[in-house]
Amino acid sequence: MSPLLMALVPVVLAPACAARTRPSLAPLVLVGAGTVEVVLSLIVAFGRDSGRTLGGYFLVDPTARLFLVVINLVFLGVAAYVWNRVRTVPELAVGIERFGVLALLFLGAANLAVVSNHLVGTWVSLELTTLAAAPLIVREGIPSSRRASWHYFLFSSVGLGLAFVGFLCLARSLEADGLVPTFFLDELAGRVGGPPNTWRKLGLALVFLGYGTKLGLAPMYSWLPEAYDEAPPAVTVLLAAVQFNCALVGLLRVLSVYRAGNPELVADELLVIGLASMAVSTASIIATRNIKRLIAYASINHAGVIAIGLGVGKGASYGVLLYVVSNAFIKAILFLTVGKIKAHYRTKDTREIGGLIKDLPYSGLFLMVGTFALLGFPPFGSFLGELIILSGLVQSGQMLVFATFCLLITATFVATGRTVFPMIWGEPKRHVTWPRQTALAAAPKLVFLVALLAMGIYMPPAVNTLFRQVAASLGGE
Amino acid sequence: MTSLLVGLLAVLLLPLFVSTWRTSLFGLACQGLVMAWIAYRIEGRFSLDHALTFFDLIVVRGLAAPLALYAVLRRQNAPRRSDVIPPNMLSWTLAIGLVLLAFRFAGILVPEESAAQTLVAVSASGLLLGFLVLATQAGPFAQIVGALRVENAIALFELGGDHDRHESPVLHVAQIAIVAASVVLFRWYLVTLSTGEATADASERPAL
Repeated sequence: MSPLLMALVPVVLAPACAARTRPSLAPLVLVGAGTVEVVLSLIVAFGRDSGRTLGGYFLVDPTARLFLVVINLVFLGVAAYVWNRVRTVPELAVGIERFGVLALLFLGAANLAVVSNHLVGTWVSLELTTLAAAPLIVREGIPSSRRASWHYFLFSSVGLGLAFVGFLCLARSLEADGLVPTFFLDELAGRVGGPPNTWRKLGLALVFLGYGTKLGLAPMYSWLPEAYDEAPPAVTVLLAAVQFNCALVGLLRVLSVYRAGNPELVADELLVIGLASMAVSTASIIATRNIKRLIAYASINHAGVIAIGLGVGKGASYGVLLYVVSNAFIKAILFLTVGKIKAHYRTKDTREIGGLIKDLPYSGLFLMVGTFALLGFPPFGSFLGELIILSGLVQSGQMLVFATFCLLITATFVATGRTVFPMIWGEPKRHVTWPRQTALAAAPKLVFLVALLAMGIYMPPAVNTLFRQVAASLGGE
Repeated sequence: MTSLLVGLLAVLLLPLFVSTWRTSLFGLACQGLVMAWIAYRIEGRFSLDHALTFFDLIVVRGLAAPLALYAVLRRQNAPRRSDVIPPNMLSWTLAIGLVLLAFRFAGILVPEESAAQTLVAVSASGLLLGFLVLATQAGPFAQIVGALRVENAIALFELGGDHDRHESPVLHVAQIAIVAASVVLFRWYLVTLSTGEATADASERPAL
């Protein structure tokens, strides 16, 4: 099966969302497209087709197989959430057609980014996800959401611009070595070798800085808490769990090619930026009283942990992947749950919310379990991933980084627990009438939770093999 | 070609010192047109890829982007003065310092003195001056000008490489479409950020 099909299905279905029918078809089209995409991604992930297609512009490799499943599963969860929200809150049907069209275009571009075998192709796809996502952040009549959308678009444009300059520098590095430049990743793997010249070092640093902006790494992270906070929860999940992973795939592919023969390349930069991101997010988590911002800052923290894991290299590759995939599901669970809580209490102030486990049992439970997973508790995949990264730090002799990492993660743990746990237990602080929560509304989050648990307790051999193959492409054992 | 690059550097620098929005937009238009001239001098022959490059530089960057922003500011009756960097000695010295830094940097990357070295230096100058605008201004118009300056610097740097011969025309069209779509979004932000007002109880409304 051509991987291009995964990009085409949402694009072809997008006009159906725009159909002016009452009630709107958009939520059903979203769920339908999400279901088809999950099935297709499973066929690609566990099917026999592999290698280059369509002139080499697309490549089905273990990285594409793994992340196609992750992003499409998250999208299906978001689609189910949107369908349920529109069903239970009829006024949300206003403008749902626009959301449906842009979300499907976003998904098509995201799938394209994951299967792209061409540096510029990946870049174009990421730009397309940005162009589709920026208007989705805006909420009618709320100027702060417009500013958040603007800052998101501005930072994304500049960040991706830097990444593009990085690609041009990498091409110049080949020219400087007397080789024919190429942007095809598999061809680059065969041409890159020997000690890195100045162009290559500069190119890699710019690619890292550019993609790091999309991941919310310090120093270009300030757009992230604002955009995640102001966007509707469904859009926040698309940014945090889908677009984040697309940008990460782009970065992983570049690193796997250029660090194959030189594992130390940009290792120090990854460690420093990773620690800086963790420090910035920890300070912000301590200061904030806004639950959505708190999870947004935790996302910056996660990006920092991932950067440190990549900096450690082969010893931590498997852990990095577990951590990345776990975090996609954790962020999806938490942002969707917080959306529900905000809709219920009409506030994001943690001091005004209490007794969730009594008032909103499903949301309280998901917030509790999600927070445990966020903080890296066992038995979730994030625990195992973090443990492997820490073990990699010790094995590689990075004791100062290890100590700073432990200090920051402990501070994050205390600050998050201090803010979130009083929201879950105790007596409800506000009494709001609300229709009883149904199990159907909780279904998408339940699927994500099962996936999180599976990654920590028992992973089916076929999935584990996929993780190991991707880790091997990053130099892991 | 070196004289064209020096001309482009002047086009990059002058609008920083003349604080009107019309000068900024005229500067952007000149950047697109001078870059098209540079592209013509570099290539000297015709192909589909070069036609796309000229379309990008002349139509999208040189004409569409400045005109789209001009129409909005004209309609808004924007005040004549609009600083893209703070009007003080520190900012001006910083701008000149960044250009000198860019030339020094280009000397390290391309050791032999040539047009290629100047092209890298002017691209780096454009990039750094774009970042200076972005770092010192918070208003949407100045930030849009900063972002477009960064985009133009990248396009200039792209002209100097050999890599474009290995790229598909479809990707080239996609790149141009992205620049054009970005300009449309810039225009939309310029309109909505300056005129958008809060609707009462909007933040109380449910969100998806």
